[in-house]
Amino acid sequence: MSAIDLVDIHKTYKGKVKALRGVSLDVNEGEIYGLLGPNGAGKSTLVKIIMTVIHATRASGTVLGLPIGDVRGLKQIGYLPEHHRFPEYLTGTQVLHFYSALCGVERSTRKKRAASLLDRLGLQGWGRKRINTYSKGMLQRLGIAQALMNNPKLLILDEPTDGVDPVGRREIRDLLSELKAEGHAIFLNSHLLSELEMVCDRVAIMVKGKVTMQGTIDSLTNESKRIEIEIDCTPPEWTHSVFDKVDGQTMTKLGDNTSTVQPMIDRLRSEQCAIRSIKPVRESLEDLFMRAVDYIDNPGSHGENK
Amino acid sequence: MTVFKALLIDAYRQLSAAKLFWLTLGLSGLVVVLYGSIGFNDEGVTLLFGLFDVESEFITAGSPWARGFYLGIYSYFLVTIWLAWVATILALISTCSIFPDFVCAGSIELSLSKPISRLRLFLMKYLVSMLFVMLQVSVFCLGIFLCVGLRLGEWNWMIFVAIPIVTVFYSYLFAVTVFVGMVTKSGIAALLVTGVFWMALFSVGASEGILTSVVTSQEVQIERYQEGIEKQQAILDEIIAKSPEDFRIESKQSRIDEMKTDNEASVEFLGKIRAWQEPISWILTALPKTAQTIGLLDRWLSSDDGFDLGAIMRGDMSELEEVEEIDPTNHWAVQRETEKRVQDEYDGRSLWYVIGTSLIFEGFILGLASLIFCRRDF
Ligand SMILES: Nc1ncnc2c1ncn2[C@@H]1O[C@H](COP(=O)(O)OP(=O)(O)OP(=O)(O)O)[C@@H](O)[C@H]1O
Ligand SMILES: [Mg+2]
Repeated sequence: MSAIDLVDIHKTYKGKVKALRGVSLDVNEGEIYGLLGPNGAGKSTLVKIIMTVIHATRASGTVLGLPIGDVRGLKQIGYLPEHHRFPEYLTGTQVLHFYSALCGVERSTRKKRAASLLDRLGLQGWGRKRINTYSKGMLQRLGIAQALMNNPKLLILDEPTDGVDPVGRREIRDLLSELKAEGHAIFLNSHLLSELEMVCDRVAIMVKGKVTMQGTIDSLTNESKRIEIEIDCTPPEWTHSVFDKVDGQTMTKLGDNTSTVQPMIDRLRSEQCAIRSIKPVRESLEDLFMRAVDYIDNPGSHGENK
Repeated sequence: MTVFKALLIDAYRQLSAAKLFWLTLGLSGLVVVLYGSIGFNDEGVTLLFGLFDVESEFITAGSPWARGFYLGIYSYFLVTIWLAWVATILALISTCSIFPDFVCAGSIELSLSKPISRLRLFLMKYLVSMLFVMLQVSVFCLGIFLCVGLRLGEWNWMIFVAIPIVTVFYSYLFAVTVFVGMVTKSGIAALLVTGVFWMALFSVGASEGILTSVVTSQEVQIERYQEGIEKQQAILDEIIAKSPEDFRIESKQSRIDEMKTDNEASVEFLGKIRAWQEPISWILTALPKTAQTIGLLDRWLSSDDGFDLGAIMRGDMSELEEVEEIDPTNHWAVQRETEKRVQDEYDGRSLWYVIGTSLIFEGFILGLASLIFCRRDF
């Protein structure tokens, strides 16, 4: 069963802003799924629709087996909103208690979880302090703790590492991996592509309200795999016909099959051409992202990759 | 239940974090202490724990007048002026931003993403927002209860009736605050509009009161004219029967004609005033009846003994002095009769009219606000 299964979600805000134009995606149980896209792509809109904070214009699909918009499903979902604000008169522990009580978590359970989550997110000793004394990163950590208070099957995080220092980001990444190992499905969106690359099983790239690419990072970058050979001399004439691209002293052969380039290496060597490097290259998530964004802006100038 | 408890605790934390809450509580305490400082001895009333003496023939320690006087100060002054006016303003100021804060970006997402339907969440939040007033009034009433108990030796539980009455009164206004807060997301705007609304209610209520008095006084006047005309006519008939040539016939006849003209003028005036009074009382029927809701307490608290401070404050001393029977068409007599009838009229208005119709209005406003809350994209 998939944790999230969205089919053709549309959202038009008042004032005719088309934030989502037919988004479909599915998140499996127990996986980390990353949603990326430029500012204003509609990521937060999509997350808010899942969390019933806003109503979709048109939607079908399920979240944890219940139709979208069914509040019963929320009992099993933990959510960290984009720019969350907790009431300033509460302490860290009170925040955790309050929001999980709204989720229907019993008091004894809340007590145990609050203490352990504060520890787990590096907020030991801060539970009794008013949250208006917290720093931005600490509030973010508290937000994540809050999202975990109901021991959710599905965790939805909107920019979880926003404002968190590098050490904290790493801790959060480790936490996400641990949570995944414990069987939680995680759906997150972030602009830190290198981080998503490290933790996500699958990603979707969303641009202007549409998912343009979806899949494992491996499969998405598969097509871009290539072998680059850099030489010290001018590339001989014949290289132009056997390589896919020759650019200065760098020659590129698409695909990741190393045996295809061996005869060419032999020939270069036999022609006394010194080889400086041979390396397999693949697109980074960032390249992929740029390509996806670019594709929407100039359709047709690149190959479609979905 | 867990959810409601959580919201209630949260409401309490929010209140207790606000200075205004404690300020209001402190002022309430001061008012209670001042009230408690009023005592009675054999000569009359003592103020500020005996610092000042006011001699009085009737209001002495142990007399039923003292009891009525002391309870009257509570039901007439403290409830209408302190609770229903000053404390309510402070309460509205403290609570006007509860809903705008609740729905502000970044915090509403946290509440809406919980497994509670929006309508339930809205209604529960509304109910717990009454906590400010309930707490304040409860503490106040407890203080008054103790004062009355110690001063009069009477543990009058009716004093606590002020808690639901003032809360209901406040809720009429708060519904408007919530509605405007929902539409504008601004506490200040909500407060201002509520203030204007309150003034409008006050004006409609006062106009209705004045017009009702005028109508009643015209009715009394017309009754008196008619009685007078009948009486004079009977005398005239008698005189004519005795001697049709009597010299008094002419003057009597002209007196009767004069009264008839006056009567006609009054009837005409009554018709004109009614044309105003009726639509206004219909409007009032549809609106919350703030003054009358607060008036219930006075009605319930002072109905069982003869001393009515409210009536005295309205200038009616009839119950203190023995007023001898005077000419019923006399101006003062008409006025007294009018006041009595108006008072009876208001006292006779059913709970359904005073509170029921007001709650329907409140429900309507809340319905609109909840509709906005349930349908909005946050
Ligand atoms: N409440 C709203 N009313 C009208 N338009 C909105 C509203 N919220 C968002 N939008 C619009 O919807 C589009 C998508 O916004 P959204 O917040 O979902 O983007 P995002 O992908 O989360 O961006 P970011 O990376 O900056 O967080 C934007 O064009 C935005 O202007
Ligand atoms: Mg966003």
